[in-house]
Amino acid sequence: MQRNGFKYANLFLMLLLTLFIFTLILEIITHTDPVSLITNIISPEIQFAIRLSLLTSVISTFMCILIAIPVSYSLARYDFHGKAIINTVLDLPMALPPIVAGLGLLLIFGTTGVGSFLADAGLKFVFTVPGIIMAQFAVNISLMLRIMRSTFEGINPRYEHVAQTLGCTPFQAFIRTTLPLSKNGMIAGSVITWSRGIGEFGAVLMLAGATRMKTETLPIALYLNMSSGELDLAIAAATILILISGITLYLFERKGGVAKLY
Amino acid sequence: MIEVSDISKTLGDFELERINLSVNEGEYFCILGPTGSGKTILLEMIAGIYNPDIGSILINNFDVSSLLPKDRHISMVYQDFMLFPNMNVRENIGFGLKYTDLKLDKVSINSKIEETAEMLGISNLLDRHPSTLSGGEKQRTAIARAIITEPALLLLDEPLSALDSGTKGRLRQELLRIHQLKKTTTIHVTHSFEEAFTLADRIAIMHGGKIHQVGTPDEVFRKPNSKFVADFVGVENLFHGTSVIFNDLSEIKVNGHTIISSTRREGDVVISIRPEDILLSKDPIDSSARNSFTGVVSDVIRMKSTVKLVIDTGIPFRVVLTKRAYDDMGLSCGSEVYLTFKASATHLIC
Repeated sequence: MQRNGFKYANLFLMLLLTLFIFTLILEIITHTDPVSLITNIISPEIQFAIRLSLLTSVISTFMCILIAIPVSYSLARYDFHGKAIINTVLDLPMALPPIVAGLGLLLIFGTTGVGSFLADAGLKFVFTVPGIIMAQFAVNISLMLRIMRSTFEGINPRYEHVAQTLGCTPFQAFIRTTLPLSKNGMIAGSVITWSRGIGEFGAVLMLAGATRMKTETLPIALYLNMSSGELDLAIAAATILILISGITLYLFERKGGVAKLY
Repeated sequence: MIEVSDISKTLGDFELERINLSVNEGEYFCILGPTGSGKTILLEMIAGIYNPDIGSILINNFDVSSLLPKDRHISMVYQDFMLFPNMNVRENIGFGLKYTDLKLDKVSINSKIEETAEMLGISNLLDRHPSTLSGGEKQRTAIARAIITEPALLLLDEPLSALDSGTKGRLRQELLRIHQLKKTTTIHVTHSFEEAFTLADRIAIMHGGKIHQVGTPDEVFRKPNSKFVADFVGVENLFHGTSVIFNDLSEIKVNGHTIISSTRREGDVVISIRPEDILLSKDPIDSSARNSFTGVVSDVIRMKSTVKLVIDTGIPFRVVLTKRAYDDMGLSCGSEVYLTFKASATHLIC
């Protein structure tokens, strides 16, 4: 009897939590009727936000992949002094509140010589679309590094050794063996980086600002419309974000194993 | 000709100390040593995967110490096969051909792949995926991939260690046959005496990052130059001989003596008799065992709980006794003893 009591208490809490999460999602989707939900989704403002979110998150994800491959390969394969410190620094953005990272970015690009040099060269990050991309990149790169690092660590370096003895340069050996073998990790990492890029709010708000129809990504659209009392538009933005989360979760489950990393 | 001169390397906690080796053109050279003796690192340095801290490596009189692996004309086979999982058997075997200076066209690449696969008896596996192969088939594929580029030096890192005993024997024969056919200079790293004894022209014994002895298998097994080498190679009774089948049994002539085995095989063979299978007595024993020899105790090696004796009968037999049995028998160097063992205790290795 006592054992059953324990079991039912656990199961009850589990069901309660499931109901809670299910309700909060259902509440958003059903707040407006389907017709006006669709009308709001196809409104110019939400359409703009969808396009801008997709564009910026895809670009920032590619940047993450491009940078994460060589950096995480270094961490996985080379031994050097200060590796532990470098590791900690590279992990930091993951633990840092995004809004703090955003403040740092704003200070780099808004007040330092580097920022004004880049701005003179035509690369303006403060209150611009490139700023959105930079903010997403800075916040998500740590996650991508972690996934790629453990992916590379899971691949025996002897594949590359053999390829090198068979005539490959170290780079060719990497391209022919380790890189294709890291495909699953890379896909999983990209999916999660992309979805977090789309949802990124704090760092984007700090660096790129919240300008309607200019730096208005989906989370910014949600925030702007809530502030101005346009609840229906806010809900349209939220619904799209829920949809994207659903897709991400599905893709992630399909790529199995890598989800264990968290 | 491979010349390794004064190579030292520190890798983490591990240290290789002033290694000197020279391997002749066309030679089958075994590096024999226990796990953790530094054999693999030495091999990977010859391959160019690691660079030595000091010292030099010459392949055919050409200093390759600072060259990338791809420019050393070597091939490597690992214990754990390392077949590329993203390619099928054909693509694995043909991998190296894409990077040679030969600039082969598709037709000649394919015919070379098929010829090499034929040599290793894996022609029917070419379209299979590595994950569907048995251990022996995987290693045959890895060997095919290594020899197809016709390297000046073939490096084998414990190539038979991951295989079951039957497959091991067959693949050992295969390595011997390929070497006779191709005459590729080969360095084979192993911890198994059997392998070294049956394959090698010469052996180097390695332990604790150092080379202890270099010589032909017979020299090393008969005249170990240190206690470590003696302990390490002295466990088994390994002899070369010529076998003829008589009365359903093999009669093997070893140094003028005849040893009987119940395994039937003719021609040149290597036999091994486990020291614990040999019965030692002070008087002759009348028994059903087919092998009986008279000899003299020539060496006594005291171990923790056992005593190892070397009995010279014309062939040096090694016999293991418990301490108690040794004391009870009152033996010492020079004592005359009788050795008895069954035909079924005589193992024919190849």
